[in-house]
Amino acid sequence: MLSVESLSAGYGPVRALDEVSFEAADGEITAVLGANGAGKTTLLRTISGLVRATAGRVFLAGKDITGRSTEDLPGLGLAHVPEGRGVLAELTVEENLRLGALGGGRRATAEELSRVYGHFPVLEERRDGLAHVLSGGERQMLVIGRALLSRPKVLLLDEPSLGLAPKIVTRIFELLRTLVSSDGLTVVLVEQNARSALSIADRGVVLNLGRVVVRDDADALAGDDALRHAYLGF
Amino acid sequence: MTRRQLLLALGALVVVILVLENTGPFRNGQFAAMAYYAIAAGGLTVLTGLNGQLSLGHGALMAVGAYTAALMLQERDAALPLVLILLIATGVTLVVGALVGVAAARLHGPYLAGATLALAVAVPGIPLYFSETLGGEQGLRVRVPEIPTWLADAVYFVTGQDLTPTRYLAYLGWLGVIIVFVLLANLSRSRIGRIWQAVRDDEVAAELAGINLGRARVLAFVVSAGCAGLAGGLLALSARIAAPSGFTLTLSLLLLSAVVLGGLGSLVGALVGAALLTFLPQVVTGVGEDLGLTDVQAAQLAPLIYGLVTVLVVLLAPAGLAGGLRKLTQWRRST
Amino acid sequence: MQQLLTTVLTGLTLGMVYAAFALALVLIWRATRIVNFAQAPMAMITTYLALVLIDAGYSYWLGFAVALLSGLVLGAVVERFVVRHVEGKSEVNAVILTLGLFIVLHALAALIFGSRFRSFPAPFGLRGFQVGDTTIALTGFGVFTIVAVAVVLVGLVLLFRGTDLGLRMRASAVNQEVSRLLGVKVGRMLTLGWALAALVGSLSGLLIAGGGLVHPSYMDGVVVYGFVAAVLGGLDSPVGAVVGGVLLGLSLSLVSGYVGSELVPLAALVILMAVLLLKPGGLFAHVRERRV
Repeated sequence: MLSVESLSAGYGPVRALDEVSFEAADGEITAVLGANGAGKTTLLRTISGLVRATAGRVFLAGKDITGRSTEDLPGLGLAHVPEGRGVLAELTVEENLRLGALGGGRRATAEELSRVYGHFPVLEERRDGLAHVLSGGERQMLVIGRALLSRPKVLLLDEPSLGLAPKIVTRIFELLRTLVSSDGLTVVLVEQNARSALSIADRGVVLNLGRVVVRDDADALAGDDALRHAYLGF
Repeated sequence: MTRRQLLLALGALVVVILVLENTGPFRNGQFAAMAYYAIAAGGLTVLTGLNGQLSLGHGALMAVGAYTAALMLQERDAALPLVLILLIATGVTLVVGALVGVAAARLHGPYLAGATLALAVAVPGIPLYFSETLGGEQGLRVRVPEIPTWLADAVYFVTGQDLTPTRYLAYLGWLGVIIVFVLLANLSRSRIGRIWQAVRDDEVAAELAGINLGRARVLAFVVSAGCAGLAGGLLALSARIAAPSGFTLTLSLLLLSAVVLGGLGSLVGALVGAALLTFLPQVVTGVGEDLGLTDVQAAQLAPLIYGLVTVLVVLLAPAGLAGGLRKLTQWRRST
Repeated sequence: MQQLLTTVLTGLTLGMVYAAFALALVLIWRATRIVNFAQAPMAMITTYLALVLIDAGYSYWLGFAVALLSGLVLGAVVERFVVRHVEGKSEVNAVILTLGLFIVLHALAALIFGSRFRSFPAPFGLRGFQVGDTTIALTGFGVFTIVAVAVVLVGLVLLFRGTDLGLRMRASAVNQEVSRLLGVKVGRMLTLGWALAALVGSLSGLLIAGGGLVHPSYMDGVVVYGFVAAVLGGLDSPVGAVVGGVLLGLSLSLVSGYVGSELVPLAALVILMAVLLLKPGGLFAHVRERRV
């Protein structure tokens, strides 16, 4: 569904991404892992067009989206939940959600909103309140719900577990797993918390200094002690 | 003061004498104007370029200097020597500058711009309100004192020509420019200058390094205000009047644009800007009249060009003309 | 008593116009973090366009409509082709840019329309209403002013709170990058924001001109008053702009009536400094959340 080929990006002599290639298949969770500064966030931002690729291509459902404007991508089926979550704090919870749908090209129907509230009841309680009163976990739920409302084919998630209590992380990850199974969503999950990520992922890509070190099934990666110690911190 | 600066100053003095002695009264008058614009611009470029504080109100500070000087020059025979009067005008403006500077020190960017804009619009109203003492709409007439005989004799001795009042004012102005610029150059290079730049570049780092932000900012404001005050006093002398219509918002904006065009932070740039302000209008107005515009319309061409060039400079060469030239020479040296 | 009533009514009417201008400044500030000091000459030019039509014999309302429409276009053009290049970059450059525009527009207006003072009509009359046997200081034009600004305000509220377009515009003002990720065409939203702000600015230009004299500098005081009103209410708050405008209008009217009209700009400066030193965020300051 999402295919990245030899993608490079950088600032002058610094190569933040160096010929990164991988595929994220339909209905699978692909984890992108690596230490701080490995280029994981840059990878997502380059796919989304926030950072210009200096070489390589990105394909979404077979279509070349390299170099397309960021704002065109949700309409094409790519949703990106950025680092730091990207909650629009001065808007209400429901306004945030409605924006997600608008990005996908049409207004959110009552059913679609109900479905999101069904996944995250706490959001429904606060639907008319400003988003900035939400806790970290609630914000994460909000931005995932918002991304889902654009009916994406591919969902890019940048460090959703950051700053969240383990219990909440587990809930969110379980939910991701459910969505992938039920809706056939393709998820690319960037995570520092490699252990949790590998526990729900199907495939894994490990980056180091902007380069792909290894691509393999999640189980294989989790089982490779040497690799884990070297790049994943556990 | 370094030896280089001393040589430059003396050289400048020689150039000034040569130019002024060999030009007629009209040009002398123009050079007198260029002098006070240069002093005001010099102060402003240090404030805005070195210290990063954007002031739209320096026209108002010039008004303070002008009116102070004018008040002391109401009689034919002024009680005080002219130089002292100018120093007092500078001093009063320094104090006003301190007051404004203290208020402005906590403001940034658009807030500072807006506050100084309000100052520029507010000050011309004061002489209108206190029209008894400050002359109201007509303004205060300024009597230029007699040239001291010793000076007239000395000039005749050196140059063989009589010293006209206009040329006298021009000399006064340019002497002011040389002294002020040497002072500003030394300040810029000194520890104070570096502190100003540090405050401009990164407040947090500067504070962590132990710099008192408020004091640094107020000092920069005071210095630039003093320059504006001196310039205002000289303006009052040259124009022989201090009136509200001479200190409109446009003056403040033109001063700022002159500084931008010359290059923020560059004293040479301030000279360039002052030259543009003085000489461009005549040139451009002439062209305009040749193209068939009325003289009133042609008079608008100069500000139109300043505005356009300012906009273009911001869009294309944010470092200003002097900065742009510097970059060009650097690039050429490296290739 | 009579004088107090007059002062209050004048202040209220004038305050609504300052509120409109302040609102224009706030809209642009929220969207692009720039204070558009050039808004004053922009409004001045659109008013001149109306004046040209009116002097040529066309109806006031046609001139009115043309001024508003040209405001829309001018705002869009200025944002798209000039200001776009400095958005998000150094504050100093943005201020200098708007000042350069200020000078250019002033000079253009003087060049094209001349510098002499010209009178501008005021619809609905300038005679005060009769209440019993006294004439109060509220004129037909004054009522029109208040109603016109109120209508525009309501229109903007409906736009921003009630429509998808308004939602997108608000999102762009909160966080451009996140909005782009959500598919919002931020560039277009910014252009639209400037266009609407300029429309509101043009309205205030027309209302200030009505019954008075138009000349290239006639709006210069208003940019200061609008700015002070916006700061008084809080640069981020549209409601604040309106409240600030009315409060400022009343205060300045009191100064003008009881002290002297020459000191009104000074009074505005004093109010500005008081606000900036005591409550810098303005009356309606809301704690700006860090973008998380």
